[in-house]
Amino acid sequence: MKQRFISSVQVILQLALTTVGLTGESYPGKPQIIRCRSLEKETFSCWWKPGPDGGRPNNYTLFYSKDSEEKLYECPDYLTSGPNSCYFDKNHTNPWTTYIITVMATNEIGSNSSDPQHVDVTSIVQPDAPVNLSLETNTSANMSYLWAKWSPPPLADASSNSHIYHYELRLKPEEKEEWETVSVGMQTHYMVASLQAGVKYVVQVRCMLDLGEWSEWSSERSIQIPKERLPPEKPTIIKCRSPEKETFTCWWKPASDGGLSTNHTLLYSKEGEEKVYECPDYRTAGPNSCYFDKKHTSFWTIYNITVRATNEMGSNVSDPHYVDVTYIVQPDPPVNITLELKKSIKRKPYLVLTWSPPPLADVRSGWLTLEYELRLKPEEGEEWETIFVGQQTQCKMFSLNPGKRYIVQIHCKPDHHGLWSEWSPEMYIEIPTDFRVKDLVVWIIVGVLSSFICLIMSWIMILKGYRMMAFILPPVPGPKIKGIDTHLLETGKSEELLSALGCHGFPPTSDCEELLIEYLEVEDSEDQQLMPNHDTPSRNAKIILKETDSDSGRGSCDSPSLLPVKCRESRGLPSSLQTQDVRAKEKKGGKGSWEAQCMASEQKTLPCNSESIKSCTWLAAQLPSNQPAIFAYHSTVEAFKITLNTTNVNPSPVLVGNEENCQSLYPIAETLYDDMEKISEMENSKTDQTTVQVRQNQHNEKSPFLNPKLMDYVEVHKVRQDEEPTLLLKHKENSGKTKKCTVPGANKEYTKVSTVVDHHILVLLPDQRTQNTPVSQEPVAETAQNLQQSQAEKNTSCSTTTASDSRRDTSGSDYMDPSSFMPSFK
Amino acid sequence: CHTSGMLTPNGKEYAQKIPREELTHLILKLLQAWKEPLSHFNQHIEHYQELPDDSLSKAKQISNMVHELKTGVEKSMGIISNSLNGMESSEGTALSFGNEANMMSDSDFIHCFRRDSNKVQSYLKILKCRIMPENSC
Repeated sequence: MKQRFISSVQVILQLALTTVGLTGESYPGKPQIIRCRSLEKETFSCWWKPGPDGGRPNNYTLFYSKDSEEKLYECPDYLTSGPNSCYFDKNHTNPWTTYIITVMATNEIGSNSSDPQHVDVTSIVQPDAPVNLSLETNTSANMSYLWAKWSPPPLADASSNSHIYHYELRLKPEEKEEWETVSVGMQTHYMVASLQAGVKYVVQVRCMLDLGEWSEWSSERSIQIPKERLPPEKPTIIKCRSPEKETFTCWWKPASDGGLSTNHTLLYSKEGEEKVYECPDYRTAGPNSCYFDKKHTSFWTIYNITVRATNEMGSNVSDPHYVDVTYIVQPDPPVNITLELKKSIKRKPYLVLTWSPPPLADVRSGWLTLEYELRLKPEEGEEWETIFVGQQTQCKMFSLNPGKRYIVQIHCKPDHHGLWSEWSPEMYIEIPTDFRVKDLVVWIIVGVLSSFICLIMSWIMILKGYRMMAFILPPVPGPKIKGIDTHLLETGKSEELLSALGCHGFPPTSDCEELLIEYLEVEDSEDQQLMPNHDTPSRNAKIILKETDSDSGRGSCDSPSLLPVKCRESRGLPSSLQTQDVRAKEKKGGKGSWEAQCMASEQKTLPCNSESIKSCTWLAAQLPSNQPAIFAYHSTVEAFKITLNTTNVNPSPVLVGNEENCQSLYPIAETLYDDMEKISEMENSKTDQTTVQVRQNQHNEKSPFLNPKLMDYVEVHKVRQDEEPTLLLKHKENSGKTKKCTVPGANKEYTKVSTVVDHHILVLLPDQRTQNTPVSQEPVAETAQNLQQSQAEKNTSCSTTTASDSRRDTSGSDYMDPSSFMPSFK
Repeated sequence: CHTSGMLTPNGKEYAQKIPREELTHLILKLLQAWKEPLSHFNQHIEHYQELPDDSLSKAKQISNMVHELKTGVEKSMGIISNSLNGMESSEGTALSFGNEANMMSDSDFIHCFRRDSNKVQSYLKILKCRIMPENSC
């Protein structure tokens, strides 16, 4: 227990000691001299800052020494300049010495001294700022001046006022940032000019001795420069208006008032009077206005109105405004606009818009008559439609679309000179959509039906379009030649062709006769096969002047290359046919004749030359492969007759008869040769001057060998002077030795035909082989018959070969081969 | 204006206070006063080259209208006899009117005519609404 007590006491003692040691048992921190300053070069002060406190109160002492003297002086005055300062008065201040000043801080424990400060009095001179700054403004002759006055800084020693200070003044407008500095000199007042009127300025002053620094700026002083005072500017009268033709009001616009409050007065005089009145009422119509009530309003007189603005500086008068109240009437907009939807049974509902005139306007007495105008537009629209309504107060509108929203406005004006009022506030119109169910149903039904019909139509078109097209645009039939199979020709098998031609040299069978009787159907189309037309009823000298379609075959017939051959053929046909027929009749078994006949029949007669007679008939015979040629024969004579009768005698240089022949179908006549002769005579008699004489070859013995090849040549007769040249079909004369078949005994001259002109004129080539070759243009004569006759005879034996030859010759020759001009046969 | 001398009501109240006959008389007087000056004017402007053609025809039209209006008013008011009296008194003044009118410039002439025609129109309207108030009055 004792030990415990002792130990605790020791602890306590130790604690006390340490605490004592902790609480500021150290010497003070180092002070610091802040600044030293002299106000007037005769005294100066120094201020220091104490260092960190050592814990105990410090004592500060200032020691100084002069220049390089050793002696230390203590501060003479610690009080004058405030705490922590030292004031050196006049006696202790020597401007030409350098003071070395130190401050020492002392406390119980120890002391600390600051760094020494070297002070040169002359370098630390800075006076106080001037005081008592006062400002005044002076305005004279529209110029404002600022007058500033101040006092030099006060000094402790009032006697030493001999100091000369230099002053500087600075000023700026209150809101601005930049100062304008003016050097004043040594006077304590200054006048500033060129100041902005109406601006508040801020002014400061500072001073300086001849040595040292400028003082601080004095405290600010501000002053307001007064604004310019001007007389007011000229006001202007804006407008005068009368809303109901009984009173009126005028408004004016004041101009700048020159900074002072201005008064406005309105003065007027009436036309014819001298007296000037003042506005009776400035208030009713608002500021800057004048209201003339009924008593003061006169009509049909011109008012001369002016406004005068007055202020302290002066007054100004506006320009005069002349007004006659009758012409300045601008009413208020109409009121009580109502809409009414009127439904009439018959027509669409329409809208009736009614309104009433503005309340002030006295329409009742007739003093003021108003005219109204509407404007209308759909809500989303841009343009207004304006409707002038006149003096009535209602309007019926028919042309509105149901369901749409419209905006409508009305305004009015007096019926004489006046102004339009403002537009009334917008009125919205919406017409209920009046969908009659009946209408809708009808439309739906119509729509459904029509779509249905369209569907059906389209279906029909799709399914039977082909036929329809055929119906609408019937195809052009082409020539059909029985017995000739186009395909066979195309394939080029001569055997088959010949068989098709049916001239294989078989005796004419009854079938043949049948064929003879039947007429040949001619088709023009290449695609179609040449179908024989077995017209069994038409047997035995039935002349089937089958005229194929006028379209058919014409073109082909008209082709120049075809013509001569055609003609030849045609011409040759009858005769050949004749002969063949004769032969057939005579010798039915005669192969040759049969052949000839068949050949003849195979010929294609084409319309020759005649322009008018353009029908062309092609003998197209499609032969069954095994059958002999089926020919349809017509009675030549009859054919001729018919042709003669039917055809007109043409002025064209074509033999009438031949024309007829050409025109008609292939009259593969069965007429006798005699008949033929007769006919030819007839033909001869009928010939025109321009027609070529038909020459009948008397060469009956010659089977008409209606070889296509035969058609190539035209036998040229000598041209008689008084006659047209005649042409006889010639067959090829020794046309190359390839020809096996040459027409024997042909003393006639043959010439090649180069071209056919005008469908009826043969242009012949000079025949190299023949001696007498009149090259002439000759109408294609229809001497084919003769030629054919002769040729047929000659070439009877060579029918087959010639046929083949002819075919062979087609290429590149200038003979007119049927193959050359019948593309289908190639 | 040469008709400035005429005492005409220059306000609605005054116009409404005047008895009907007097108003009619006034109208006729006014119309009469313009008859001559208008014809003079028409003659005068015929010499003007610069005027467009329709101006001349318009002026003639206006003179005719004035005359017709006068006749119409007379007939409708049935005061031919009164107008005769009025004519006598106004004939004298008409001459003076004519003289005065001649001295006016063209623009003044037109201005005066415009005003007077407006007067006539207003008086007639008041008259109409007094007599037949049911028609748009």
